[in-house]
Amino acid sequence: MKYLSLIFRNISRNRVRSILTALGTMVLVLVVTLVWSVLDFLQKATSEKNANIKAIVTEKWQFPSQMPFSYAGPLSEGGPREKGDYRVKPDDSMTWQFYGGSLVQDPKQRNPLENLFAFAMEPRKIMTMMDDLDDLPKRDPKAAEEFKKVIEKMEQTKNGLIVGKDRLKLLNKTVGDKFKIYSINYKGIDLDFEVVGVVPPGRYDGSVFMRRDYLLDGLDQYERNNKKKHPLAEKTLGLVWLRVPDQPTFQKVAKQITTNPAFSSPAVKVETSSSGIGAFLDAYRDLFWGMRYLLAPAIWVTLSLVISNAISISVRERRLEFAVLKVLGFRPGHILWMVLGEALLLGLSAGLLSAGATWYFVNKVMIGIKFPIAFFPAFFIPIDALWWGVMVGGVAALAGSLLPAWSARTVKVSDVFAKIA
Amino acid sequence: MLLSLVLIQKLYIGCALGLLVFVAHALLGRVPLSYNVRNLSLRWKTTAMTALAFTLVMGLLTVMLAFVNGMYLLTISSGQPGNVMILADGSTDESFSSLGYSDIGDIENQAGILHEGEQPLVSRETYLNVNQPIENPRPGRPNRRFVQLRGVNDPVLAGRVHGLSLYDGGTWFSDAGVEEAGEGMSLIQVVLGEGVARVMAGDRTDEQRRSARNPDRLEVGDTFSLGGRQWIVKGLLKSAGSTFDSEVWAKQSLVGPMFGKTASSTLVARTAGPDEAQKLRDFLATEYKKSAVNAQVETKYFENLSATNTQFLYAIAVVAGVMAVGGMFGVMNTMFAAISQRRTDIGVLRLLGFTRGQVLLSFLMESMVIALIGGLIGIALGSLSHGWSTTSVVSGGGGGKSVVLKLVVDQTIIAATLAATLAMGFFGGFIPALSAMRFKPLDTLR
Amino acid sequence: MSKALSVEVRDVHKFFTRGGERLDVLNGLSLDVPQQEFLALMGPSGSGKTTLLNLIAGLDTPSSGEIQVAGAVISQMSEAALATWRTRNIGFVFQFYHLLPVLSALENVELPLLLLPLSAKQRREQALNALDIVGLADRVHHRPGQLSGGQQQRVGIARAIVTDPAIIVADEPTGDLDAKSAEAILELLVQLKSSLGKSIVMVTHDPRAAQRADRTLHLDKGRLVESGMLEHA
Repeated sequence: MKYLSLIFRNISRNRVRSILTALGTMVLVLVVTLVWSVLDFLQKATSEKNANIKAIVTEKWQFPSQMPFSYAGPLSEGGPREKGDYRVKPDDSMTWQFYGGSLVQDPKQRNPLENLFAFAMEPRKIMTMMDDLDDLPKRDPKAAEEFKKVIEKMEQTKNGLIVGKDRLKLLNKTVGDKFKIYSINYKGIDLDFEVVGVVPPGRYDGSVFMRRDYLLDGLDQYERNNKKKHPLAEKTLGLVWLRVPDQPTFQKVAKQITTNPAFSSPAVKVETSSSGIGAFLDAYRDLFWGMRYLLAPAIWVTLSLVISNAISISVRERRLEFAVLKVLGFRPGHILWMVLGEALLLGLSAGLLSAGATWYFVNKVMIGIKFPIAFFPAFFIPIDALWWGVMVGGVAALAGSLLPAWSARTVKVSDVFAKIA
Repeated sequence: MLLSLVLIQKLYIGCALGLLVFVAHALLGRVPLSYNVRNLSLRWKTTAMTALAFTLVMGLLTVMLAFVNGMYLLTISSGQPGNVMILADGSTDESFSSLGYSDIGDIENQAGILHEGEQPLVSRETYLNVNQPIENPRPGRPNRRFVQLRGVNDPVLAGRVHGLSLYDGGTWFSDAGVEEAGEGMSLIQVVLGEGVARVMAGDRTDEQRRSARNPDRLEVGDTFSLGGRQWIVKGLLKSAGSTFDSEVWAKQSLVGPMFGKTASSTLVARTAGPDEAQKLRDFLATEYKKSAVNAQVETKYFENLSATNTQFLYAIAVVAGVMAVGGMFGVMNTMFAAISQRRTDIGVLRLLGFTRGQVLLSFLMESMVIALIGGLIGIALGSLSHGWSTTSVVSGGGGGKSVVLKLVVDQTIIAATLAATLAMGFFGGFIPALSAMRFKPLDTLR
Repeated sequence: MSKALSVEVRDVHKFFTRGGERLDVLNGLSLDVPQQEFLALMGPSGSGKTTLLNLIAGLDTPSSGEIQVAGAVISQMSEAALATWRTRNIGFVFQFYHLLPVLSALENVELPLLLLPLSAKQRREQALNALDIVGLADRVHHRPGQLSGGQQQRVGIARAIVTDPAIIVADEPTGDLDAKSAEAILELLVQLKSSLGKSIVMVTHDPRAAQRADRTLHLDKGRLVESGMLEHA
């Protein structure tokens, strides 16, 4: 690339302009990266997988789903009845119950920020089944080792609570603190808790986990004290998650469960987590459409306008130089590529830099962007963003510099030097 | 949300005043404006390109704000000023609420509630979120959705309390709530919002739609299936622009048990007006001892639902802000180039006696005019989105309601976008104009 | 084709169209430049001397007629072919030097070599050699802005000879220089002719510059009006 240094010199010739253009490119690439990250995450969350499928079992008709806890055991195995039926392995299932409450007893004094909403489940399953935590040992073995200890602690502490770091801050508590929670949804079941650890930073920064047997004890205690069952006693199970190796197994398990008469009152449905999330997100489809087909393209076009403007200005200022180069024997193609090269170098490197910085800043410093869509607490920038950045910057640069480069290419030597007439 | 709109308005007024002072100054100070305008038209390609960037940014901003505005208007117009909404204690949302039967009768007899004859104007309702499998899902679309089903005890009364009436040709469902369809089949009668009627109309196959009375909307007499039963439309609610537009209403005593919720989730009581509603709410919240309930003035309840709007507005502000910065860099480039091309001109102007301030102003005006041309076209194009229907979700922290909302472009939005345009033009032009101001006249002529 | 001729111009016409009107600049002009001749072209503005120079340099093509330069018929070549041909056969010297301000003297001289299949080392050596010939070996890393007009023109000449072309074409090479620098540049051109065997075609207004040439031709209204042969040792 013997022309590279020439291209580089030309970019650094008007520093202010190149910096402005690069900055413009960077911020616009930033927006596209953010928008695409959200869309990409949702796309991945809703696209069907062929292996290691997670299935959700919920009440068939009603939302929110409220099933009796007696469903928990058989559903966790995949509802097998006959020999030959598929049995889900113990580590491949989890149950979710939801316990919500506040630090404040008087409902009128409550501030929603001091509320907590806990997943009641088996501690062990937090690491084997929860999305983005089940792959922690692979992603970050050190963090996984530490989190394992937190979970062991929870297994020894019945009233233990594992809290996300943001939630912990909102509650103004630290690890080791003990406090009472006055329940909002399980009225009359107020429980004492002790914070045993923090969730690894990321998706669950606002979440809380408690032990399900602690909630079940609370329901039993209520029945003993009040001589009647708690109104939610038979409606405590929200979701059952199952992991199955492949699509045929999923179909088989789904059939096992839906044809099993034990799960008929209320009836249940089985769906893959991606299809469940898809149904949930469908309400936002217009919004996503707008992000994908209005917002991102418009920013992209704006970006190529900004680049095009800068390159046109610089081409106009250098018409004479291009003519000189032509006199020296440079062909129109050389000049075209030189101008395209300047734009490309600028666009590609600003795009890469921007995407890289966004990736680092969002993932490592901010630990996810909080964007209020559906139940996803935070979005992360995938590593793919690096090539998105390069592509967005590059394509915009190419589109923006095509016309100016063509006009540079067609500079007529005799016009520029004409001294006739 | 309100606060942010007020802030935007303030910002706009501030900017408008600034601009006025600016223009006045420019005219009194005899800035060589015609010179700038001439230059803009001479460099029309660059001007157009820069302006086009503004068009895009401002067009997008208009659409995004119209969306939030539509959501805001939807939530504030869903509540009736005189209504009090009563949920079970501790439930922030209807989905999680369950009221005791005996409490209901007692609450209905509290003072302050309007009566129609003997009948207190209180609607007993059960709010359900029901899964509806979609029979013919479009490719790539989910095969089920959530339908918001409201079981109401007395539809006429409910319509009266919520201020909703039916389109011509419709009737409220009967007291039984079902009708015979022959061969031992019975159909559950419903009235439903226009929005959801349109959504469900899209479930039919192309063939069914061709033979339908209205291919785009379920009409009176049309049927749909839900929960393993067939349902028949008796009437369409005039509910556009409220959350009820996405609801299906049926007989409470029928649909409650069908989907496992026997208790009422909600009572909506009508009082004489906003003050009376506030009084009743306060009474129920503090003095009423018979049972603990969560009473809210209905307008307030819906206002809380628009908490999502604030989050969206925040996200939009970030996106728009970043885009604006990007656009500003573009303007700066244009202006820097314009100024360096015209060094000699600036020198001549200065020698003719124009002051530094006037040169600064004239270039500032130039960049603001570019911004304004592009911005105005953008706002005009963005305003075309006015009236677009889109689906979204409103929620106040608890369960969300999916809604059909219309984008609304109004004065406030135009004002806010215009203010953003001028601000971008101003900041984009300021530094280059400063540099123009600092040229030494004799140097430029050398 | 005579081997002794560097440039043969045969009955060349060139017209431009300006605002729908035809403007005849060269009217059936013929001209020979033998090898190793230093030819000066003079004439009032609008006489067509720069147009003729551009045609010889292959920057433009004639409306009719034939031009042979360094053994190639260039009047029929495509634009791309002309560009490639120019690199190897023509060195162009401008009145206003037209060096790229972002490049050093050395890099400016290297520029045409980028078009040839040479290694970086070869390019550098050749460029240094050219700068040495014009007497600027001690200024190789200076930018044009750091050089005087005369020095800049030397860089311009070094750039013109770096590809070792047979012909150097110069358009008012001394037009922007003071008398002393102009004299030095002319001296350099004469040396290039005699020691390196280049043919030189120079357009000039300056009779003193023309005097240093072997021969001066006068143009008026697109024709040669008079030619004289002046011998310089």
